[in-house]
Amino acid sequence: MVHALEEIHRFLKPSGFLIDIHPVAEHSSIEIHQNGEIDLAGQLKVHQWCVDFEQADEALAEIVKRGMFTIERKGLFDTLTYYDSAEEMGTSLKESIQKYTRVDEPVEEEVQHVETLASRADELISAAAEGVELVLREKDLISRLRPI
Amino acid sequence: MSKHDPEENEIRALLGIVDFRDKHVLEIGCGDGRLTWRYADRAAHVTAIEPSAEQIKLAKDNLPSHLKGRVEFYVAALEDFAFKSQSSMFDLVILSYSLC
Repeated sequence: MVHALEEIHRFLKPSGFLIDIHPVAEHSSIEIHQNGEIDLAGQLKVHQWCVDFEQADEALAEIVKRGMFTIERKGLFDTLTYYDSAEEMGTSLKESIQKYTRVDEPVEEEVQHVETLASRADELISAAAEGVELVLREKDLISRLRPI
Repeated sequence: MSKHDPEENEIRALLGIVDFRDKHVLEIGCGDGRLTWRYADRAAHVTAIEPSAEQIKLAKDNLPSHLKGRVEFYVAALEDFAFKSQSSMFDLVILSYSLC
């Protein structure tokens, strides 16, 4: 990642800047929305792609430490993903686990956790009246960096 | 079918800290162009790269007609693009979910 940022530094004009957006993994939660109320069905565990997000933070910190970039602005925002069903959500999250986990990393525990979350969400949806929405909420960090 | 970020919080956050006017932009890991289309009409020119040929095909196929000529999509990983590219070419580089 640091090498990629070194290349980006080379691409940029001295007056230019870099924007990085990546999730803050520990804040990912599954929610049920209904009539303006939000019920928490559960939170995603820290899994392999979260480790990658932490490495992204470390890489940005490293290039700042090396004096290549300075961070001008940072901010947090939420992105929401709406699913039609708990089954769709479970399938999507399990595909993400399979896609982003490295070959030598065990995934059974994380897959099991997603299945538990999907069951919990399904129970909440079944118990609710019409008009509920199943939502994955992720917190993202946006940073603006200026090359030095 | 799931809907990702229908509130458009990502583009609002981006526009909140970037003025795209007259900017030559490199977007790394553009995927299917979901973010590119949302800011490209404000920039002078956008070069968008992505290692997945399947994703680039989607991006090209779905590119709004008014952005043709302003956005160029390439199937390329950063290291390959870097090998062929000159220094100090871009005013702005965007990494959205692609540093990790």
